[in-house]
Amino acid sequence: MKSKIYDVIIVGAGPAGISAAIFAARRELKTLVVSKDLGGQAALSPMIENYPGFEKISGAELAVQMEKQAKNFGVEFIYENVSSVNQSEDKKFSVKTDEGEYNGTAVILAFGKIPRELKVPGEQQFRGKGVSYCANCDAPMFKNKTVAVIGGGDSALDAAHYLAQIAKKVYLVHRRDEFRGAESRVLKLKSMKNVEFVLSATVKEFKGDRLLRTAVIENLKTGSASDLAVEGAFVEVGWEFDTMLTKGFVDIDELGRVIINYVGETSRQGIFAAGDVTNVPYKQITVAVGQGAIAALQAYNYIHNFSTKH
Amino acid sequence: MKVLVYSTSSCPWCVRVKDFLKGKKIAFTDIDVSEDESAANEMVEKSGQMGVPVIDVDGEIIIGFDRPKLEKVLKLK
Repeated sequence: MKSKIYDVIIVGAGPAGISAAIFAARRELKTLVVSKDLGGQAALSPMIENYPGFEKISGAELAVQMEKQAKNFGVEFIYENVSSVNQSEDKKFSVKTDEGEYNGTAVILAFGKIPRELKVPGEQQFRGKGVSYCANCDAPMFKNKTVAVIGGGDSALDAAHYLAQIAKKVYLVHRRDEFRGAESRVLKLKSMKNVEFVLSATVKEFKGDRLLRTAVIENLKTGSASDLAVEGAFVEVGWEFDTMLTKGFVDIDELGRVIINYVGETSRQGIFAAGDVTNVPYKQITVAVGQGAIAALQAYNYIHNFSTKH
Repeated sequence: MKVLVYSTSSCPWCVRVKDFLKGKKIAFTDIDVSEDESAANEMVEKSGQMGVPVIDVDGEIIIGFDRPKLEKVLKLK
């Protein structure tokens, strides 16, 4: 198992994590970013227009540029899934993945949000094989095919609208009679000939062979079940916060978000947090980048004082 | 050696795979599956899934930027 020692280890290579990495490395801290992917949620956006300094840039391109910039300052990137963060007796931290263990004086948690799952049979099995949580990423694969979008908010309505222009047919499945999302979007969808509303209904199961073929629907009013023949199913039922690393380790709020103070400190000394994963309510790339910088600078002070104390 | 890369324009891993191949001076054909429906179906048939990138090296399929597997298949080690 690989094992190395760093000043600061950052969990998550989205905008918050990479910003933190740049600031930490420029303060001559030995910096490691461990992440399952590059760019986080920002990388899924096909066009970003509100990032200061860039009139228009794709999320993917921004992610690649951010990584390159961080590497220029000596930041190391390891693309592995973090399974635990623990503190040892010497007050330093160990970050474990499936393939390695990395030790650091300080840790910055910047792993963002994850899409909420329906938690129904077949959902995991067909993930990547028809079940998707990102219409922007995967819609192109469903040209002239039949798909379902599950959800009732703006994300679901946007996904349905986007997909309706690519797919042959879109079923919009929602457990209520009315949508939470904007009325104007609902009206637009009603006017589209290849969009069919399936209301007061939920998906009970996903079925198929090698790939997704069917979404089994239950009508919540009548209790009756029916099959929708679909090759794609886009789950757009909100976001949640993964508490595997944080529960019992740092204070989290009722939604699972890491509670931080105005300088990015969590309830545990030496652990900092930045970006969407925190309880700061505005989830934007620019906010994440700012929070990343604050967390890194505060971590620098912590590390500097750590070495004079221990 | 024939290398095909199935990709879309909005995926950072696709960019990295292509940069990796260019860096090693390996020629490849870039197939944008968001524009080419039959290529999209071909990719799903070959890889059994819908995620990009998918790399086809003389029929051997690699899903995602799996660097160790790519290096092995491209005989770079």
